[in-house]
Amino acid sequence: MTRQLTDRPPAVVEAVPAPRRRPKWSSRTRRDFFVFLALALPNLVLIGVFTYLPLINNIYYSTLDWTLGSASATVVGLDNYVTFFTSADAAKVLGTTAVFTLVTVGGSMVLGLLIALALNSKVRGTTFARSAVFAPYVLSGVGVGLVWLFIFDPGYGVLAWVLRGLGQQSPQWINDPQLSLVMVIIVYVWKNLGYCAVVYLAGLQSLPQDVMEAASLDGANGFRRFLSMSVPLLSPTTFFLLITTMLSSLQAFDLIRIMTPLGNGTSTLIYEAYLQAFGAFNRAGYSASISVVLFAILLIITVLQLRFVERKVHYS
Amino acid sequence: MGMNLDRRHFLGLAGAGAGAAALAACGGPSTGGTTPASEAAEIDFSGVKPAASIDFWTSHPGKSQDVEKSIIAKFHAKFPEIKVNLVTAGANYEEIAQKFQTSQAAKEALPGVVVLSDVWWFRYFTNGNIIPLDGLVKQLDIKVDDFQKSLVADYQYDDKQWALPYGRSTPLFYYNKDHFKAAGLPDRAPKTWQEFAEWAPKLKASSGAQYAYIYPALAGYAGWTLQNNLWGWGGSWSNEWTINCDSAESVEALQWAQDSIYKDGWAGVSSKEAADDFAAGITSSTISSTGSLLGVLKSAKFNVGVGFLPGGPKVESGVCPTGGAGLGIPSGVSKEVQLAAGTFLKFMTEPENTAEFSAATGYMPTRVSADMTSVLAKTPQIKTAMDQLAATKVQDNARVFLPGADQEMAKAAAKILTQQGDVKATMTALKSTLEGIYTKDVKPKLKS
Repeated sequence: MTRQLTDRPPAVVEAVPAPRRRPKWSSRTRRDFFVFLALALPNLVLIGVFTYLPLINNIYYSTLDWTLGSASATVVGLDNYVTFFTSADAAKVLGTTAVFTLVTVGGSMVLGLLIALALNSKVRGTTFARSAVFAPYVLSGVGVGLVWLFIFDPGYGVLAWVLRGLGQQSPQWINDPQLSLVMVIIVYVWKNLGYCAVVYLAGLQSLPQDVMEAASLDGANGFRRFLSMSVPLLSPTTFFLLITTMLSSLQAFDLIRIMTPLGNGTSTLIYEAYLQAFGAFNRAGYSASISVVLFAILLIITVLQLRFVERKVHYS
Repeated sequence: MGMNLDRRHFLGLAGAGAGAAALAACGGPSTGGTTPASEAAEIDFSGVKPAASIDFWTSHPGKSQDVEKSIIAKFHAKFPEIKVNLVTAGANYEEIAQKFQTSQAAKEALPGVVVLSDVWWFRYFTNGNIIPLDGLVKQLDIKVDDFQKSLVADYQYDDKQWALPYGRSTPLFYYNKDHFKAAGLPDRAPKTWQEFAEWAPKLKASSGAQYAYIYPALAGYAGWTLQNNLWGWGGSWSNEWTINCDSAESVEALQWAQDSIYKDGWAGVSSKEAADDFAAGITSSTISSTGSLLGVLKSAKFNVGVGFLPGGPKVESGVCPTGGAGLGIPSGVSKEVQLAAGTFLKFMTEPENTAEFSAATGYMPTRVSADMTSVLAKTPQIKTAMDQLAATKVQDNARVFLPGADQEMAKAAAKILTQQGDVKATMTALKSTLEGIYTKDVKPKLKS
C-alpha cells in the first residue's frame, strides 16, 4: 500500500486527504441495536432502579444522622464511618464476619468436593444421594433455621436427647454467643454444601478422561491423580465457587435472623446493618454506613480475586 | 454494536450487584432541621367525618387473632360505616415496629391503629409518629378514668395521653404444683428468692426435671423480667435518666442469679420460650408473661400454679414490672382516618371487649369496670395477675425509653448467665453503652 502511494505522481501524494467520515450504521446494525435495546433495556432499568439507585441512596444516607421513622435528619459527613471504626463493635463485627465467611466458604467447598467425589463414583443410589445432598440448598432458609433450632434446643432438642443418652449435658447452643456462631455455621454449611457438590460434580464429569487414563497408565494412584490432575483441572470450578460462595456468605441473613435474632455472637456486617436500622436502634444513617463498608469489602474481594486468583486458574 | 460480556466482566458485575442488593432502599428524610417529637397540641376533630376504612396493625399478642376478629365483627355490626381491616403486621412487637418504622420512612401505607409495646411507644413519640389521643378522648368521650390507673399512666408524657392499654401483662411466677407437692413444699409461689433458694435443691432432687427454675430466654425480653431481681436487691437498670445498673445492689442481684446457675446448679436459662420449657416439664418453675397463661394451661400435662413474683433481700413486695402493648394512632394519616381509628380504639378497649380479650389470652383486663366473673370462673389464675397489678412498679426508664437498651441488657445478661462473665465488669460496660444511647438518641429530643 505504501509502495503504491509513493509511486503515484507528487500532485496526488500532496493532495489533502478527505476527512474520514464516521461510518454510518447500516440499517441492519441499527436494527440490531434496537433489538438489543428492546431486550436489554427493561433489565437495565430494573437493575438501575432496584440495585444501583438504592446503592447511591444508601451512600447518601450513610452521611446522615437519621433515626428510622423520623421525617428529618442531619448531615454529618463521615461521622457514621468514624463512629463505626472507632467503636468496640467494629472489631467484633468484622471478626465475626471473617470467621463466618472463611469457615462457611472453606467448609462448603471442601465438603462439597468430597461429596462430589463420592457421587462421581459409579455405585448404585448416586441419583438419590445427589438429590438428597442438593435438597437443602433449595429449601427456605427460614424453614431450615426453625427446624435446626428444634434440633439444637438444649432443653428438648434431638441433639440434647442424644447427648443425655450418652450421659452428657447439651451445650448452650442458643444462649452462648460463641456456640451460637458455631451452630449457625454448621447449619449454613449443611444447607449450602449441596450447591458446591453439584457444581464440583459437573466439573469432575467434564474432566478429560484420556488425560486421566494416561496418568493412570503412568502409574499414578487415585490420590495422586486427584491431587495432581483433578485439583488443577478443577481450578476454574473452584474459582467460580470461591467467588459465588464468598459473596453469598457475606450476605447470609435468613439463618442468622431466625436462629439468633439478637445477633449475640453472630452479628456479621450485614446483620449488624439490619440490627442497627431495623432491629431496635433505628439508626438508619449509621446502618447505611455499615452497608457501604460491606459493599466496599465485597468489591475489593471480587477485584482481588479477579486480578490475582484467576491467574492461577487453568482453563484447559 | 456488540457487547463482550466475558466471564471476568460477568463476575465483576455479579460482585457489584450482589453488594448493592444487600443495601436497603426506602424513602429518605429531609435534612432541613432537627427531628421533632410528636406535637403535643390537642387535635380538634369537630366537623370531621370518619374515614370509611382503616387498617388495624397487630401482632396478635397472646395468640389473639380469633378474639380480635370476633371484636372487629361486633364493631362492624355497631359501626357499619367504618370497615376495619385486620392486618398481621408482624409476629411480635419488634416485627410490627419494624414495619411501622419503615412505613414512616416510605411515607405511605400507614395503618389507622397500631399495636405498640412498652419499649416502642416512646420512640414513636420522639420521632413524631403518633398523635396525642386527648382530642379523640374529648370528641368520642373515651372514659380514661375507668382504665387501670397504672396501665394508662404508662402512656402519659408531656401531660398528654399517647396510647391506651390493650394487651397488658405482668410477669407471673409459674410453678408445677405436682413437683412442689412431691418435694413437700407449700402450694404457693415463694415470698422471696431466698426462700426459693432453700426450696430449689429439694425440688431438683425430687422432681426429675432438669431445673428447679429456668430464667426467661434472653431474646425474650430479659431486661423486662430481670427488673424483678434488680428491684428485690435494691438495684435497678436506671433511676430516672441516671443509669445505675453497675451499682453494688444491681451487681449483687445479678451475681446471685449467676450463682444459682453455676454455683448452686439448680437454675438454667431458657433458649427460646421459658413458658414452653415449663409446660414441657423441663423446669419446675419459671417467670413468664400473663399473656402465656392460657397457652401454658392448655399444653401443660400437670397442675399449674401461679403466684406473685418473689421479692429480694432488700425489697419484698412491689417488685413486679408491668408490660405488654397498647394501641396508638399514627400522625401521618388524615384526620378522617384518625377519627375512625379513635372510634375503633374506643370500641376495642370497652369493658366487655377487654374482658373478652382477657378471657381468650390471659392478658389483664384494662378497664376497672370490666365484668370478669365468668372469665375468672373459667380461668381463676387470671385473678392472680389482676391482684398483682396493685403491687406493680413502673419500669426503669433505661429499659423502656432507650432505643435498643433491651437488646443490650439481654446481651449483658447472656454474658453473665450463660458465659459466667464477670458481673461488675459486664454491668460497667452496659452502663457505658446505655449512657451512650441516652446521650445520642434520647437526650437531644427531650424537652429541657
